[in-house]
Amino acid sequence: MNELWKYRELIWNLTQVNLKVRYQNTSLGFLWSILSPLLLALVLFFVFRYMYHQEVNFAAYLLVGLMSWRFFSVSTTSAVYSVVGKASLVTKVYIPREILVLSNSLANLISSLLEFIIIIPLLFIVTGHLPLTIFLFPVVFLVYFWFAYGVSLCLGAFFVYYRDVNQIWEVLVNMLFFLSPVVYPMVSISDKVMPFYLLNPLTAFIVIFRDLMIYGAMPSAYNIIVAVFFTVAAFFFGRFIFQRLQRRFAEEI
Amino acid sequence: MNSIVVTDLSKRFRIPHQKKSTVFQNVIGLISRQMDYEEFWVLKDINFEIKSGETLGLIGRNGSGKSTLLKVLARVMYPDSGAIDIKGKVASFLELGVGFQPELSAAENVYIYASIMGMSRKQTAKIYDSIFDFADLKRFENMKLKNFSSGMYLRLAFSTAIQAEADVLLIDEVLAVADEAFQAKCIAKINDYKKLGKTVIFVSHTLDWVKALCTRTMLLEASRIISIGESEKVIKQYLDLLA
Repeated sequence: MNELWKYRELIWNLTQVNLKVRYQNTSLGFLWSILSPLLLALVLFFVFRYMYHQEVNFAAYLLVGLMSWRFFSVSTTSAVYSVVGKASLVTKVYIPREILVLSNSLANLISSLLEFIIIIPLLFIVTGHLPLTIFLFPVVFLVYFWFAYGVSLCLGAFFVYYRDVNQIWEVLVNMLFFLSPVVYPMVSISDKVMPFYLLNPLTAFIVIFRDLMIYGAMPSAYNIIVAVFFTVAAFFFGRFIFQRLQRRFAEEI
Repeated sequence: MNSIVVTDLSKRFRIPHQKKSTVFQNVIGLISRQMDYEEFWVLKDINFEIKSGETLGLIGRNGSGKSTLLKVLARVMYPDSGAIDIKGKVASFLELGVGFQPELSAAENVYIYASIMGMSRKQTAKIYDSIFDFADLKRFENMKLKNFSSGMYLRLAFSTAIQAEADVLLIDEVLAVADEAFQAKCIAKINDYKKLGKTVIFVSHTLDWVKALCTRTMLLEASRIISIGESEKVIKQYLDLLA
């Protein structure tokens, strides 16, 4: 951690590079980042609006669900390439390699926060009010960030050794999408499966975000425990794996 | 005072019989349980010391372990055994322009590259003008790097890297592609650093440069040090080896 602090300017520079390169030469730039989930939300809203009418405010439900989901899926799938994609920074110069994953995650954090800032007025329009609990959102999102970062460390390191991690992760992310309440309401889950369903950390995070941004409710202790437990586990496991595997990065890449 | 002390350093590479790079192939490999790689020592029992302010030449045939030694010293690779003790900050020139972004301007790239070399934004701002003066590229500071010729690219990279503050410089054959005028300028710059008391390890196949720059030279052959001493003698030995 101490060493990362010494390299803070490099971390910030690489984060900026990630953001600049992503939106460079696109005519709409950052707008794409917000446009694609909004269009998806729009389609899903019109398709499922009658099926899921029991959800009081389905539009708001979808917006928060999709945006929360998007941060996890985009930041982890891009993290797979974060080390291999910057091979020369591994083989030709010494920098703490964790920086490569961290700067990728930070770039995603920034664009995701901007996306959330944009959907807040939309939430106000569709629900007619904004709960005070929304001020707790940044705190939870920071925890969510560390969770995704832990997962990203594993993915970035494994991909150096195993080049089909990207394919495997793509499948897993798709499965997780349907195992988490991103689009459908949770009442559609049967009571039998529910205990297992609730063990999914993404479910916990998404439910907490909806509590804070739509319903004005404090998150349940159970969800907090699941979210924090998986965050701590992912972060320490991720760092452990990364530290072990990075020793041979320069030879394997 | 010693600036670099290397004791009993060894490094081995794994040469896979058949490169397994996917999870699937590895699972198959686990089941069939074959020994799937050979081991090969790239560096074996390397011992040497460099005094602070000394410039050491490093010569040897292709594949003798020069670049690997430099990489291990630069902390890019981990040694399998032995210890390295380096005093002060290390700047490595294993390749120039590491982390350059073709889509960004020369000015932006200088800041990024300098931060990779361990410089802060403040420090870079101070030397910013001298970087562009040395590279003779002042007119192009706002041009995107993708429009640079390879010579311009190299000049910009070298100027940035050489001005990064460091106590130890590790330089691998990076000047080969530059034109003669710029090469001469770089050699002069390295000489200046010598006078400032910085420690330099210089890898090159251009033996005249080694002779001119280095008081001592080390000859590597087949992963081991065969001789280390006065440059003239070691170079002669190397030429005999080649003949």
